[in-house]
Amino acid sequence: MAEIVESSGGKNKGDGKVRAKKLSTRVDMTPMVDLGFLLITFFMLATTLSKPTSMTLTVPDKQEDTDIQETEPLKASKVLTVFLGRNDDVFVLDGIASNDDKAKEELQKVRFGTELRDAIFKAQKRVNSQFEKDEEGNLPFVVVIKPTEVSTYKNVVDILDEMAITKTKRYAMVDFLSDSEKELLGDRVKPQPGDQ
Amino acid sequence: MAKVRPKKHPPTIDMTAMTDVAFLLLTFFIMTATFKSQEAAEIDTPSSISAIKVPDDNIMMISIGNKGEVFFGVDAQPDRVRMLDNIAETKGLSFTEAQKKKFSNQASFGFPLSQLKGWLDLPAPEMGTIKQPGIPTDSTGVSELADWVYAARKANPQLRIAIKGDNSAKFPTFKNVLANLQSQNINRFNLITDSEEPPAGWRSDN
Repeated sequence: MAEIVESSGGKNKGDGKVRAKKLSTRVDMTPMVDLGFLLITFFMLATTLSKPTSMTLTVPDKQEDTDIQETEPLKASKVLTVFLGRNDDVFVLDGIASNDDKAKEELQKVRFGTELRDAIFKAQKRVNSQFEKDEEGNLPFVVVIKPTEVSTYKNVVDILDEMAITKTKRYAMVDFLSDSEKELLGDRVKPQPGDQ
Repeated sequence: MAKVRPKKHPPTIDMTAMTDVAFLLLTFFIMTATFKSQEAAEIDTPSSISAIKVPDDNIMMISIGNKGEVFFGVDAQPDRVRMLDNIAETKGLSFTEAQKKKFSNQASFGFPLSQLKGWLDLPAPEMGTIKQPGIPTDSTGVSELADWVYAARKANPQLRIAIKGDNSAKFPTFKNVLANLQSQNINRFNLITDSEEPPAGWRSDN
């Protein structure tokens, strides 16, 4: 492989003249290429090419003041409640409150992905066609996200991402379950001994 | 007589072009390299369609491991030392220069204050191998995360908060982290995620 091409001996063709050997100027590049690729491999492995992205999450200020702002309670019919359960299960309650009699039948179990997205779009369409925009021009549709103890961080990020995908501007993350919700969901959101 | 003998040279390939390519690529990778920093734990983040890049500097990173351990880290080394000084002051501790030096080399850590010194006294190669229990964040019991966040913000008020959680971290841990931050009146965070293609036909509003 490595060769510096030089004319070998026996060139002194009888005429007695000693000629200087003609050295070729060719340099073998193979080791250099080896080194180059070695370094490339190292740098490729040591770098992070795909930079992580970040999603912004803004949570409401804690209201420690005693003069809590009076707000109009949300109408249940404008709200899609999303419960995040175990094993990436999602329970959605569209348009009715959890203490409603029909809540048990209406509670739908969906999976992340198209099923959930369809459910959100359906509710969004229904609410936005039924109700007017409010004074500030916001769409009436509201999603209440209720992560439970058995859900994971991934579920939270996924549902927030789903909000971005469905362009739902108004959503709230509420981290406690009311009594009626606890009753409605029952064992599905209780930590089990098998969980870590 | 005049036999035509083929010259006996091994076939050679001109490597120059290949060298050119190799070094071109090498240059590219060296220029764009941002090294993976030594993390306290391997964290597998969820993905989102968000296109906002994580800022390069002035970041304090709260990582949540898959077992619910919480790690904390600040990107700039001088900030790390100042942060350690601040927390030592408020908690009535003192660290030696050697400990500070070692601390400044750690991208993130996950030890309760009581165990931090013991960890910093270990020889440097061992520090990476030991399992870190995480910073206590229990909002009802002992919580040190808020103190660290305060110390870091005192060291560098420009710091932004990034939360990097593992896919399988449970929600209550995340809730505790949020509670710790909210107790410092921090209501805006960046959740670090992998990027993912938005669904077909989806277009950003702005």
